[in-house]
Amino acid sequence: MSKDMRRICEYVLQTAKSVGADDCGVGYSKRRFVEVQYRERKPENVKEATTQNIGIEVYVNGRYSSQSTSDVREAALKPFVTNIVETAKLLEEDPYRSLPDPKYFRDMQQIDLGLADTNYNSITPELRHSMAKDLESSCLDAGGDRAISVTSQVYDTFQEETLLGSNGFEGETQSTVSYVFVEMTAQDEGDRRPNGYHYAVNRTMKNLPSCEDVGKEAAARTFELMGGKKTDTETLPIIIENRNAGRILGGFIDAMNGWSLQQQRSFLIDKKGKKVGSKVFNLIDNPHIKGALGSRLYDGDGMATKKRDMVKNGILEDYYIDWYRSRKLGVEPTSGSTSNLILPPGKRSVAAIMKDLGKGILINGFIGGNSNSNTGDFSIGITGTLFENGKLSQPIAEMNISDNHLKFWHKLAETANDPWKYSSWQLPSLVFTDVVVSGV
Amino acid sequence: MGSMNRREFLHTSAALGGAVVLSQIIPGVWVSCSKAELPGFFETEFGITDALCQKALGTALSKGGDFADLYFEHTISNWVSLEDGKVDRAYGNIDLGVGIRTVKGDQTGYGFTQELTEDAIMNAASTAATIADEQPTSVAKRFIKKRTRNFYPLERLLTEIPLSSKLPLIKSVNDNCFSKSDLIIKANVTMHDQQKRMMVVTSDGVKADDLIPRNYLSASVVAEKDGRQERSGWNYGGRHDFSYYTPQVAEKLSNEVVDKVVILFDAQQPPAGEMPVVLGPGVTGVLLHEAIGHGMEADFNRKGISTYATLIGKKVAEPFVNIVDDGMIQNRLGSINVDDEGTETQKTMLVENGILKSYLHDRISASHYKVNPTGNGRRESYQHYPIPRMRNTYMLTGDATPEDVIKSVKNGIYVQDISNGQVKIGEGDFAFYVSQGKRIENGALTTPVKDINIMGNGPKMLRNVIMVANDLKLDEGGTGYCGKDGQRMPVSFGLPTCLVQSMTVGGTQRQGAAS
Repeated sequence: MSKDMRRICEYVLQTAKSVGADDCGVGYSKRRFVEVQYRERKPENVKEATTQNIGIEVYVNGRYSSQSTSDVREAALKPFVTNIVETAKLLEEDPYRSLPDPKYFRDMQQIDLGLADTNYNSITPELRHSMAKDLESSCLDAGGDRAISVTSQVYDTFQEETLLGSNGFEGETQSTVSYVFVEMTAQDEGDRRPNGYHYAVNRTMKNLPSCEDVGKEAAARTFELMGGKKTDTETLPIIIENRNAGRILGGFIDAMNGWSLQQQRSFLIDKKGKKVGSKVFNLIDNPHIKGALGSRLYDGDGMATKKRDMVKNGILEDYYIDWYRSRKLGVEPTSGSTSNLILPPGKRSVAAIMKDLGKGILINGFIGGNSNSNTGDFSIGITGTLFENGKLSQPIAEMNISDNHLKFWHKLAETANDPWKYSSWQLPSLVFTDVVVSGV
Repeated sequence: MGSMNRREFLHTSAALGGAVVLSQIIPGVWVSCSKAELPGFFETEFGITDALCQKALGTALSKGGDFADLYFEHTISNWVSLEDGKVDRAYGNIDLGVGIRTVKGDQTGYGFTQELTEDAIMNAASTAATIADEQPTSVAKRFIKKRTRNFYPLERLLTEIPLSSKLPLIKSVNDNCFSKSDLIIKANVTMHDQQKRMMVVTSDGVKADDLIPRNYLSASVVAEKDGRQERSGWNYGGRHDFSYYTPQVAEKLSNEVVDKVVILFDAQQPPAGEMPVVLGPGVTGVLLHEAIGHGMEADFNRKGISTYATLIGKKVAEPFVNIVDDGMIQNRLGSINVDDEGTETQKTMLVENGILKSYLHDRISASHYKVNPTGNGRRESYQHYPIPRMRNTYMLTGDATPEDVIKSVKNGIYVQDISNGQVKIGEGDFAFYVSQGKRIENGALTTPVKDINIMGNGPKMLRNVIMVANDLKLDEGGTGYCGKDGQRMPVSFGLPTCLVQSMTVGGTQRQGAAS
């Protein structure tokens, strides 16, 4: 861990106190990244840089203000911190603002979450270019004559973060992420040119799947979109593919947030301990999974994290409440955001489930749409494929699904055995019954 | 404080407290800056000389390439917010850096640094140079400064506006909301201002700088009636001088946001399926942004991945349909004086009398198509290379009256407010989310509707625009942005009332089903 980063954070804390702050929190992060894109078998974009940012929040006579900057020179930081303190003094008092009580981080676990690839520095420019070439080649080969354009991307980053608070909190994290991506556009009927893609992400580059597999999958997913058209408006069972399930779940999670609850913008107010979905609806927030994308020992407030049941057998067990909102709501804080969100997988594959559903739609993408956190109403465009008795038939496009979260999750009939591993939300494909799908 | 020079201050203070705070820190520091649009900001404040630019561009082209450019940026952003009746939170950010690009054909090498030192700039230039592998390309011997029209003049720098000037406006919006309706239970009000300075220097001798303001006053409210809650939000803003934000604007904002939420208690889900859709005037122009705007961005066409890739010069709509992308509207959010490659902004016809006319070009695509760039090369910040992006996209007025358009529909949807949209470029399929609208039954507006997604296909929708009214309205907001390739860009929209013969409306009831 960089001693310089810690020294600068300590300087900010001392300076803030010296110019009148009662308390101060400071977070300093540095990120180095490299991005290589290939198209037409040559590099299309190559980008590389190091960025840094320091975020400072001050508490002055019950007043609060925060600012951030990329200029971390001590000579620059002193007037910067002074200005934040002076700004805070001009605002109205907020009795709920403070840094967290130290009891919320005193017993923080000291375990290695495996967030950084120990061999990160061995990733060479040649390796990145070679991977981007392989990704593109594999997709082009699989796409054949129908491929109009293929773009591949290799991206990796190394990040360091130091978080200090005048309440005694100290947190330091190093992390890495490697990411590969391929997209293909193919010629369909008329002027339609479907675009499909595939990607993989991991803390460690060597744990990514082969470039060949990622490229082939991108081509296969593009072909799934060929011939898409709208079909009749009807009530059908739907299966939301694992990688897309988070788009719908996000509307539910937003309503679990402390801000939504305290500002009375949530359909989940007063729903804790009550049934909000079917028995299959379970959500576990687990921040301590080694090497996972959402793992963390402490949250943005500096409070120690722990595993929590958020929804159990369809019963809402907990909310996402940060320190500030917990004080406004008069409840215990949990954490203000998700870490690794697990919806436990079932035992059957999507193919096996389809056989038992009769006619339905396998949703492989969403477009547009939104969710109303007050009422739970949502409406969203879909792409996918009709299936009947286990066999995929007509690709669909230009269609919508609409429902209300307080009803929708009761329709969750089954979860497939395929949790999506390239996200901090590890969700399997989800099966819902009786959903109105609008088309013609 | 006395030892801090002016340059350091400009580097390092978001100046949230504005003049009030400034007078406590370093009196008079802004005096020489009090007149806006100072030329040579980066030269005078950060010591960026032409010689340094030539050296950096020379390094960027040391392995060849068609051209290189430098993009210097210094941006100060502030937010002040009210929650639960108090203005008790303020946030700020300062961003400073330079992005260096080397272009060879359609290939781009890019590096950036947050330190404006010679060493750091040369390192970033070396990174950009890696895209090429040939003999060095020469750099222009001198840079000619580009003079452009100013579509967003400032009487005072936004960083000069004291916090004390903002507080009464924010408070008044809150007070108006609660006094206007007993149903209001929560109000959140935010005032945001951003002052971006940029300078582009290109290896072919162009130098252009700009001072770009962005600001808004926004409000969102929650209302409760008979145990049911609804919410709405609205904002006014764009690229304004602070004098735009009068008590009248604050009152108009309060009225708008309260009127919008109260009506939602009568809203119902419309029947689902295909039906005629009338777009009311204004922010509904999101429809054009998604249905045609993105598909006309030339990078998608250069790569052959847009559904519009083969349609230039062809009839795509009725002769009364004219669509433009316009960077030249005073104080609008999508307006720019010069784009982020140094090309002067313009008004670009996308569709003229129903014929598809021009893509939206940056320098790379213009070179590919052997046309002039259209001033659409934009980037979120120095951390990104420019790509073709929209500005203010709208449809010109037609001959019909709004009343005629509505009367012509027997059973359909009237769209008043759209919160967001998305498009699939290759298929042309797009969606937009209707936060507020009404049903049309037998030619009249009836029950309010809300929270529905509407889907269509761009080229098909254009062919299906069968009436355009004479009431063009441009969005007056300051929060609108567009996301593409990981870059967020401020844009605006506009539309006259128009009728699309058929689109797919989302809903929880099938047409004809009992409600």
